[in-house]
Amino acid sequence: MKKILIAALLVFSLLIIEAFTQGKKEGVLSIFEQPILITSAGQNAEVHLASVLAKRAELTSTLSKNATVKDLENIKTIVVVLGTSLKGLGAAGLNMAQEKERINLLVEEAHKKNIPFLFLHLGGEARRGKLSDEFINMFLPHAKMVIVVKSGNKDGLFNKICDKHDIHLIEVERTVNALEPFKQVFISKE
Amino acid sequence: MTKKGVFLQRKFAVVLISSLLLTSVFSCQRRQIKIPELPSDRHQPYNFIGQKGMVVAAHPLAAEAGLEILKKGGNAVDAAIATAFALNAAEPFASGIGGGGFMVIFLAKEKKVTIINFREKAPSQAFPELFVDKGKINEQWRRSHGLAVAVPGALAGWAYALRKYGTKELYEVMQRGIDIAEKGFAVSKTFSKINKDEYEKLLLTAGTTSCYLNEGFPYEPGDLFRNPELARTFRFISSKGVQEFYKGELARKIVSAVKDNGGIMTPEDLALYEPVEQCPLKGTYKDYTLYSIRPPGSGGLHIIQLLNIIENWPIRKWGHNSPSYIHHFSEALCFVFADRDHYLGDPDFISIPVIPLTSKQYAAQIVSKIKSNLMLGYYPFGKFNGKQNDKENTTHLCTMDKEGNIVSLSQSINDFFGSGIIPENTGFLLNNHMRDFSTDPNSPNAPRPNRRPVSSMGPLIMFKKEKPFLALGSPGGTRIFPSLTQIIINIIEFGMSLDEAIESPRFFNYSSRGKAQNISLESRIPQTTINSLEAIGHEVIIREAFDKYFGGAQGIMILQAKKIIHGGADSRRDGSGAGY
Repeated sequence: MKKILIAALLVFSLLIIEAFTQGKKEGVLSIFEQPILITSAGQNAEVHLASVLAKRAELTSTLSKNATVKDLENIKTIVVVLGTSLKGLGAAGLNMAQEKERINLLVEEAHKKNIPFLFLHLGGEARRGKLSDEFINMFLPHAKMVIVVKSGNKDGLFNKICDKHDIHLIEVERTVNALEPFKQVFISKE
Repeated sequence: MTKKGVFLQRKFAVVLISSLLLTSVFSCQRRQIKIPELPSDRHQPYNFIGQKGMVVAAHPLAAEAGLEILKKGGNAVDAAIATAFALNAAEPFASGIGGGGFMVIFLAKEKKVTIINFREKAPSQAFPELFVDKGKINEQWRRSHGLAVAVPGALAGWAYALRKYGTKELYEVMQRGIDIAEKGFAVSKTFSKINKDEYEKLLLTAGTTSCYLNEGFPYEPGDLFRNPELARTFRFISSKGVQEFYKGELARKIVSAVKDNGGIMTPEDLALYEPVEQCPLKGTYKDYTLYSIRPPGSGGLHIIQLLNIIENWPIRKWGHNSPSYIHHFSEALCFVFADRDHYLGDPDFISIPVIPLTSKQYAAQIVSKIKSNLMLGYYPFGKFNGKQNDKENTTHLCTMDKEGNIVSLSQSINDFFGSGIIPENTGFLLNNHMRDFSTDPNSPNAPRPNRRPVSSMGPLIMFKKEKPFLALGSPGGTRIFPSLTQIIINIIEFGMSLDEAIESPRFFNYSSRGKAQNISLESRIPQTTINSLEAIGHEVIIREAFDKYFGGAQGIMILQAKKIIHGGADSRRDGSGAGY
């Protein structure tokens, strides 16, 4: 009986150890610096999730839904939340072309200033589709790293782009699970 | 005891505690309410079938709640109110006791159709420039602020209907709503997406600790959503009565929450709220007669206008969603929106030319202006002689019982999650229906004391040769009446079944200050059709294949010859039906 109990405990412990180490297999490096500018590509609502994640990770960040090159002063990392919301675009008074142009200008200026991009896709399956995919295909190649909620990558689009452009991809189950890698990829201010 | 013994004892304790934890987790999962299974491809047309009764609603648990009451001998009104309470728990972001709406009731024995208007009212201190802040309209005040909250009418309206036309007691029809709120259910993709879309507002007004966020983040599909505070509120109303909401402890909490968020609602505003019973608005389309709500609900009026116009066109020849059909329909919508902007308001305070607007002659005038291969570009409102007087005429769900009584009920808290304001420890959201007033201080629909804002809702019941044929309605803001008209035409002219008609691709257009806006289309409409529309001059916005922007219609169709009832529920949201 004792042997069975010990064996069961052993299996249970191994399972727990395996579960805890899975997240570390990615070997996430702290490669981004603060302060951070957070914006969206597509005026999605998840940009606010990114802002809350940054706050909980105790990072120095500014949220600007309509960020322009003027907002890049002193910025060390740009976090772009991918996904199109027609409602968000309407509220911002922008169409798709104007939004693409805004991000394009940010990308150009960031390259000049050597500011790296961390991309996020937090909306899952519901934030995919023709309009969102346009932004993903167009801008994701500029990323140094991307964190994706798994259900948004069911078709492997993010893997495909990341493989091609040698971008570090981190998949998380749920939005809240993005907090840990989000913390880890930023170099501590101390 | 040896060291080994202590070690094993500790391990045993760990295993025991772990097991207890796991057991409690699993038992918690068992307690949540299981959502009835629907066809795996929700977009595939699917008619729910019944013979005695039917309930369709925007959430499967709400439809089940209504059916349960029907099976217990309740009538269509009892079932509608039970469904409405259940919706507050299961689809809390779209409707509830913090909002308002309209109800069309068909009483089979009397062969009578009646309307209950429980639309919210502006507080008594409202004024036309309410949302002007430093010379500009403050959009945040209109969306997520105390000023956005109108005096809720839902609970008063439901209680009135139950008292006058129902057979059950309030506590009986509330029970399923209480269960759903208390035990919870698994969040759908629709719930999760809407929760994410409205995250900014919820952070601002509801706060990270409210039940509408999951530890400060939006719910993911499959998460357990519970609202014990709403269950407590429902129990309180059940034991103390509806007056607690309008004159008692809940009223004090509502006023306090509104004022804390910068609003102007007073205890008297709530105490004086009353629903209104009205005669329905009547229209015809070929052999069919339609009954719907009167202004300030505009949906019924505009559906009649649109059907009057469409009646003049050979739409079967043009084909379903053909370029000609979409072009003509869009041009008609531009005229209808011009009338809406110019005339619509609260008929208790202003005169609305309902009779001329819904006349066949006026429709013929509009038809004569519309060109088959050209956008007119300018769409004036109709002009009518003399002062008009309307006095003489004066998340959607449908229910039908075995006696043939029918309810078609549309209600809302306006934007998803309303204003985001939750009165202290009550679990329900307050509406932001003050946003339905015009921002133009000179508009007939400008905010003024005690007025009801114009609504686009259009719950309706249609009859074919005096026999009930169709109950229908939808959410979706200004897309409501264009979408409902398309569904009616899909059934009558294009021979579709109810759910086929509901799932069919939709489009929408409107005019603003006499000028046409872009046509929005679901992406299932073929590119060749889009090209043809662009060639005529339309600018097109392509939306998702099944976009909830176009509403989430629910309907009941009575197939008299086959003696069966079909329920149709929109897959653009979590629509579902339950019949027996």
